[in-house]
Amino acid sequence: MDIKDYIASGILEAYALDDLPQEERAAVETMLDKHPELREELNAIEEGLEALAMETAIAPPSGLKDNLFAALDKEHTQEVEETQPETKVIPLAPKKSYLWNYVAAASISIALVSSFMAQDFYSRWKQSQAAYADVINSNELLANQNNKVNRLLDQKEKDFAVLANPDFGRVDMASVIEGQSFAASVYWNKKTEEAYLSIQNLSNLTEEQQFQLWAIVDGKPVSMGVFDLEKDVLTKMSSIANAGMFAVTIEPRGGSVNPTMDAMQVAGEVG
Amino acid sequence: MTEGNLVSQLKAKDKAALSYLYDKYGAALYGTAMRIIQDEEVTREVVQDIFLKIWDKIEQYDAEKGRLFTWMLNMTRNAAIDKIRSKEIKRSAKTDPMENSVYTIDQQNNTEIPVDGIGVKELITDLDQEQQFVINKVYFEGFSHSELSNEFDIPLGTVKSRLRSALKHLRKKVRN
Repeated sequence: MDIKDYIASGILEAYALDDLPQEERAAVETMLDKHPELREELNAIEEGLEALAMETAIAPPSGLKDNLFAALDKEHTQEVEETQPETKVIPLAPKKSYLWNYVAAASISIALVSSFMAQDFYSRWKQSQAAYADVINSNELLANQNNKVNRLLDQKEKDFAVLANPDFGRVDMASVIEGQSFAASVYWNKKTEEAYLSIQNLSNLTEEQQFQLWAIVDGKPVSMGVFDLEKDVLTKMSSIANAGMFAVTIEPRGGSVNPTMDAMQVAGEVG
Repeated sequence: MTEGNLVSQLKAKDKAALSYLYDKYGAALYGTAMRIIQDEEVTREVVQDIFLKIWDKIEQYDAEKGRLFTWMLNMTRNAAIDKIRSKEIKRSAKTDPMENSVYTIDQQNNTEIPVDGIGVKELITDLDQEQQFVINKVYFEGFSHSELSNEFDIPLGTVKSRLRSALKHLRKKVRN
């Protein structure tokens, strides 16, 4: 097998991530011994994994290192205790008063208990900090979603106000291309001259194209602006007076001065 | 300290070497485990166990087979994956479907928040969708190649080559 193909297959990555069955591992190791360039590539992959892990590192909680070494000492002492015979203890001097012993023992216990508590509270504090950060994160997420929903609702309320206003007349534009079911409507308020566009179905555009809405006023086309294929919303277009007809053409992105007549999609007369 | 020195000091049971190792790689391994486990408490346990294991098993490390970090990384990934698997098995064995779906949602939420917070998303944004999917599943969620291939119906060879191109790209990126 060609070495380049072998590398490109991704088998070295799988090897580095310990994701191969035993027999495949052995096969890779044989290949590695035979081809120094494979060894080189594997090394680069491993360096990449290390860099990636470093880049996405998260600082461990601060008590972890202490706990680790405490656990290590414990393991270590156990081993020592198991292997070494007990040392003989010889009392130094006979004790006269036991009171001080009790006081000393009590203060040591208090010190031990309070240091344990301090450690315990510290780690709890750390935990609540992390939990708090999580809560803030999810709160932010919810707030973002809420904003999105609010914006959508505003849009729908505006659209509804247009649809519910009796001053807006609806002018349906039907396909001028035979065999196509293109359709769009203009909601037009003759008093205020405002116009909104609603798309039911229009052809898909390339990135260089845009739709342009035209009004025919006294037999002449007047541009009412360009738009993209966006359904389920009303798009506000330029205001227009005395329109007798509306039509949509496909134009180069940004629109044209005069409509390209043979790129007309839909048209409808004002009833 | 070179890797060879570090390894021989660890083999000589030098605690200072382990301390150095922890300071240098602790955060990288903690991040790796945390992303798979998604729980701080369990991640602490796993990372502590890993360092104890490194200390106990350093004799088994073979420099011929790969870098020290790769050895530690794979031990960490495997331990983390074992941990979530055993948790999942325990849970699914005794919970009804309703609780199960709550758990799934929980898991989904979990994977999103911390991963976003630490910039992994930024790191992988310029990978294509398919590469992002493979790197997320394999590297950050601990799927094996064959599991990914079976569960999502992608040929094994494709999983391997996508992971390769994704890692290759990230390699270039994190070096800059």
